[in-house]
Amino acid sequence: MNEARRRSVEVIDLEKEKATRDKVESYLKKKDPDIIIFNGHGNDVSVAGDDDKTIAEVGRSTYLFKDKKVYVRACRAGKKLGPDIVNNGATGFVGYIQDFIFPYDKDSIHKPLQDEYAKPNLECSNQVGISLIKGKSIKDANDDSLKMFKQKLDEQLTSKSKNSLVATCLLWNMMNQIVIE
Amino acid sequence: MTNKTPITQDMIDLVVARLEALPPNVAMSVGGDGGLDVGELIKRVKACDEVGKQIIEMQLFYLRSLKNLSPIENVATNN
Repeated sequence: MNEARRRSVEVIDLEKEKATRDKVESYLKKKDPDIIIFNGHGNDVSVAGDDDKTIAEVGRSTYLFKDKKVYVRACRAGKKLGPDIVNNGATGFVGYIQDFIFPYDKDSIHKPLQDEYAKPNLECSNQVGISLIKGKSIKDANDDSLKMFKQKLDEQLTSKSKNSLVATCLLWNMMNQIVIE
Repeated sequence: MTNKTPITQDMIDLVVARLEALPPNVAMSVGGDGGLDVGELIKRVKACDEVGKQIIEMQLFYLRSLKNLSPIENVATNN
């Protein structure tokens, strides 16, 4: 979102109590955004918003994603929701076919990008959204993210880190991130 | 990415040992289960429930991949 604001790209941020199915569908119809980014809990067929209630799912209103680039950072949404979104006309989709897993420091829970455990995985997955906002194609956005995953993984392997948990999660998330066009 | 190899007790013990080496302030966000601290992760791995199996699969995938992951380092030779 910082990248979008820096580029004067209009951002419609539906967070917390605004992250409901009705609001999402309403904004998709009225505002017709080019890029949609979901960040929440998910499963093979859906992604959740506020209070873990479904905001998008297979077979329901996925036509609203037509001609849009979609990134869903939610567990396993790449398995069925992603293909359904693309089959209904989305330009492309990036998501995950397994759970998105990352470590974090319990003492830094409110500052994930300052948390040395959480930061690498979150930065790599955030890169998808950043590249999309920069105007890149869905494929290039995915490639940028994967490149960062590899770079961060390399850093972890050569670091003096006492445990390999960050690297383990980087590899997992990298291998499970998919692009569908 | 899924591995259909049956999970053995040795695998469970290996993953538990790796988790036990983690600092106590570390937790993991695992899907819909949210944040799990080290104790909870170990419990789930030992129980081999859905989360436990996922953690095992993730750890074993990493360990098996190590030979392909290590960055190439400059090695001095006498040649």
